[in-house]
Amino acid sequence: MATPSRPIPFLFRPFRGGRIVRHALLIGFGLVMLYPLLWMISSSFKPEDLIFRQPGLWPSEVTLENYTDGWTALKHPFGYYLWNSAVVTGLSVIANLVACSLAAYAFARLEFPLKKLWFTLMLGGIMLPYHVTIVPQYIMFSKLDLINTIWPLVMPKVLATDAFFIFLMVQFIRTLPRELDEAAEIDGAGYWRIFIRVVMPLCLPALATTAIFTFIWTWNDFLSQLLYLNNPDNFTVPVALRTFLDASSDSSWGPMFAMSIIALGPIFGFFLAGQKYLIRGISTTGLK
Amino acid sequence: MSSGKRKWSAALLAAALLAVTAACGGGGDGGESAGGTVTLRFSYWGSDARQKMTEEAIAKFEAKNPTIKVEGEFSDFDSYYESLSTKVAASDAPDVIQLEIRALREYADRGTLADLSSSVNAADIDAKLLATGAIDGKQYAIPNGANAFSLMVNPALVESSGQKLPDDTTWTWDDYVDLASKITAGSDGKVTGTQLSWNPAYLEIYAAQKGESFYQGNQLAMSPQTIKEWWAIMQKLIETKGSPDAAKSAEVGATSVDQSLLGTNTGAMGMWWSNQLGAAASASGQNLELLRMPKLEGATTGGMFMQPAMFLAASSKSEHAAEAAKFIDFMINDPEAGEIILSDRGLPANAKVLAAVRDKLPEADQKTLAFLDEVRSELKDPPAAPPKGASAMEDILTRYSEEVMFGRMTPDDAAQKLIAEANASIAG
Amino acid sequence: MADSVAVKPRDAVTEPARGGHRSTKRSRREARAAYLFLAPWFAGLLVITIGPIVASLYLSFTDYSLLEEAQWIGWDNYVRMFTEDPRFLNSLWVTTVYVVVSVPMQLAFALALALVLDRGLRGLSFYRSIFYLPSLLGGSVAIAILWRKVFGADGLVNAVLAVFGIQGTGWVAHPDYALGTLILLHVWTFGAPMIIFLAGLRQIPSSYYEAAAVDGAGPLRQFRSITLPLLTPIIFFNLVLELIKSFQSFTQSFIVSNGSGGPADSTLFYTLYLYLQGFRDYDMGYAAAMAWVLMLIIAGLTGVNFLASKYWVFYGDTK
Repeated sequence: MATPSRPIPFLFRPFRGGRIVRHALLIGFGLVMLYPLLWMISSSFKPEDLIFRQPGLWPSEVTLENYTDGWTALKHPFGYYLWNSAVVTGLSVIANLVACSLAAYAFARLEFPLKKLWFTLMLGGIMLPYHVTIVPQYIMFSKLDLINTIWPLVMPKVLATDAFFIFLMVQFIRTLPRELDEAAEIDGAGYWRIFIRVVMPLCLPALATTAIFTFIWTWNDFLSQLLYLNNPDNFTVPVALRTFLDASSDSSWGPMFAMSIIALGPIFGFFLAGQKYLIRGISTTGLK
Repeated sequence: MSSGKRKWSAALLAAALLAVTAACGGGGDGGESAGGTVTLRFSYWGSDARQKMTEEAIAKFEAKNPTIKVEGEFSDFDSYYESLSTKVAASDAPDVIQLEIRALREYADRGTLADLSSSVNAADIDAKLLATGAIDGKQYAIPNGANAFSLMVNPALVESSGQKLPDDTTWTWDDYVDLASKITAGSDGKVTGTQLSWNPAYLEIYAAQKGESFYQGNQLAMSPQTIKEWWAIMQKLIETKGSPDAAKSAEVGATSVDQSLLGTNTGAMGMWWSNQLGAAASASGQNLELLRMPKLEGATTGGMFMQPAMFLAASSKSEHAAEAAKFIDFMINDPEAGEIILSDRGLPANAKVLAAVRDKLPEADQKTLAFLDEVRSELKDPPAAPPKGASAMEDILTRYSEEVMFGRMTPDDAAQKLIAEANASIAG
Repeated sequence: MADSVAVKPRDAVTEPARGGHRSTKRSRREARAAYLFLAPWFAGLLVITIGPIVASLYLSFTDYSLLEEAQWIGWDNYVRMFTEDPRFLNSLWVTTVYVVVSVPMQLAFALALALVLDRGLRGLSFYRSIFYLPSLLGGSVAIAILWRKVFGADGLVNAVLAVFGIQGTGWVAHPDYALGTLILLHVWTFGAPMIIFLAGLRQIPSSYYEAAAVDGAGPLRQFRSITLPLLTPIIFFNLVLELIKSFQSFTQSFIVSNGSGGPADSTLFYTLYLYLQGFRDYDMGYAAAMAWVLMLIIAGLTGVNFLASKYWVFYGDTK
């Protein structure tokens, strides 16, 4: 689509089914997508007793009380839980990036006995609903005396048990032309070198995707964090957020919304930072 | 291949790590630490407010008992039983456990709970209320708060719709339906008369008015006729617009009291446990009152009853049974604990504690207390804990009720199926 | 059973050719390297994955309340499931409808937006972030409230319908429509597959497009002969994973229906029913049996997927 060389005022630009329409559609669509989030933000600024009585988007009274109350409502200031979550999440991201890419490279590029069997087993592991595996798993970690440590949350990631990401990276690696590996091999590179120097740099989008999703899913993961970190000193954000709600009596909706918004900050920030790496892997030339 | 070696060492390291952690494990958990202190684990659900109060009460207990340390294990209600049963499955049960009456027999009948008859002083608790925590003569759980299922009303909305508050000592179900539809009509639909409830306690009250009890041993004891007549009340409410239609009823029914019609001032009545008055009142920002449930014409009893809001129990596997009992005793009998917890776990079951904190209770709970005192003489005995498998009862009741309200099943058919399914669930 | 990546469309052509000058020494070296790369994964398989899987298989043949020891009862759980439990069959049906309708819709949506957002449009990262936001909220308890705001009797949708004089119902809690709103909720959280598509698009070497442009191929032609084929591994990935995940959907129904699967069981997802059996009715043996039936269904579908992939998925590593 040709763009006019001279800047034309927005309203007078020719209506050519081009950018404006596209932007308008995207923005309109974005608003529909965002309505619930906007409602949540607006609710977080309403006095608590008005949240359900005045369901409109625009608050008639604005208060910061939910934020100040929510921050201090629990045993520790909310920042404490953010930090706990950051530790668990950060370690998980690093572990997943390393362990899953190692396994993915083997599945995608190397030949070895029983490969099919192992691959099937890997995918099979995510086909059982976690509600039935969580009890045996808890029993195991409890016997190891690891309850209320971060090991039950991080160890599975260190040991590459997340088939989603292995499979994801396998698929990405397999879109890369094999000539690249072979060229490196001719230059005398071993598998490790090919992995580090050739495959990984070209998989940057896949690595970024893995990092983003690991971050988000770990940050939001509720049940395993509740089970394994059930001492109030170890609480993470999702667990802390639930404590604002109590189906059987009084819920603190306002602080819950306010702290939810705050808890969205880190994931959103990580997402923004991570998506920058969703760049073209092989721009024009693949290898030097 | 240096890379290979590096990988090997990483793998070895991981294996070693596992071995070490495995070696460290296996010791008694939650056991004695240095200096002869004993650590108790106390698992409970609740809101942020309850967490704060409980932590405060624990601190007081620890100050009085320097050799005992209590670790609260807190969860939200939705995941409470999932995490509790997982811990029990792993032989990792908390020493002190908060339970509600629905779950009591699930745990007690399976040998999870300890008999507290001789270790916790329950002299100041109403004997009939206390009996709900006993099974076959063993006191598995001590009630720490009480409740009655009742009707809540917003007098201002009733009056602004041109109606008058009913005389709740005489009103009938017909009066109730009539008032509800008149409120909707009188407010031009801005306020709906009431909202439907599928709480088993509601049906229990209705059945009692017909002289039937809900359970008899491991069986439902109500006749299909009773259930059908009960549904007829709700069908009539929908018909006369005294309540929202089936779809909206199902929608608001799935929410908590603070999002209910009454809580958002779009409805004038509703039925809940009496300890939810505070939550409803703070959500609505208006004055709410408790009323007696309506009666069947000619019924000899109102059918209302007290029920423990929750219990404290101790694990039968606890290595610190004496300390656990001591903590339960403190939470239930010590006025100092009562002063911190107030009515957060229901109005204190211990009469002396209740007398001591009476004036410090929040306004809504003082109102609840006054209401309970007023109706106390009319109440029937607190029903025994429902049989094992009854946790599903509320779900079963809601499901078949909705089938009927949406017109997808005839009341006859639904009542038969409900009884069959409920019996299968509690027998198995 | 699931086929492996070892089988790919053109293996038949490439393998013998390579096998020719491939010494056994070399393949042994390659295998050893592979097992080294897989070392952490193997450790995880042994220590973390296998145990619970085997345990759940064993438990599926027992009567297990979680609170007492498990009692072996043979095939009883499985027999009961198919002969005495209409709610089980209903939950399977509800889940199947949900998967069959929502997965293609969600993927089509995600792909379309990824294509739009892959173009050189100003403010791309802004849009991308906005479209991703709902997925961040997907499992939050706040969603239940928000969904009632939109699809409730007094919600946004009915407000819009009222403008056109249409009287809507409470969609979110009507047995005929509740599942539909959950399907929309699933489609609404299309962010994850969208990001994966986007990453896949970024992986396609731009040299291909340049070459095609030199050959005079228009945008549509480029899409059909470059973008689409090269994206097939990623489409395949999203399809396989979304199928697996959707069959296991739990949270959405759990929070929107307040844990009941209501109204009238219309949103009783398979895993929600499994959860209720295991943790509310203390019948973990039955829940484990349900899990294994689901596992077989998912594995069967995934296997078919892998077999079919030979005909439509194109891998860059096959020369």
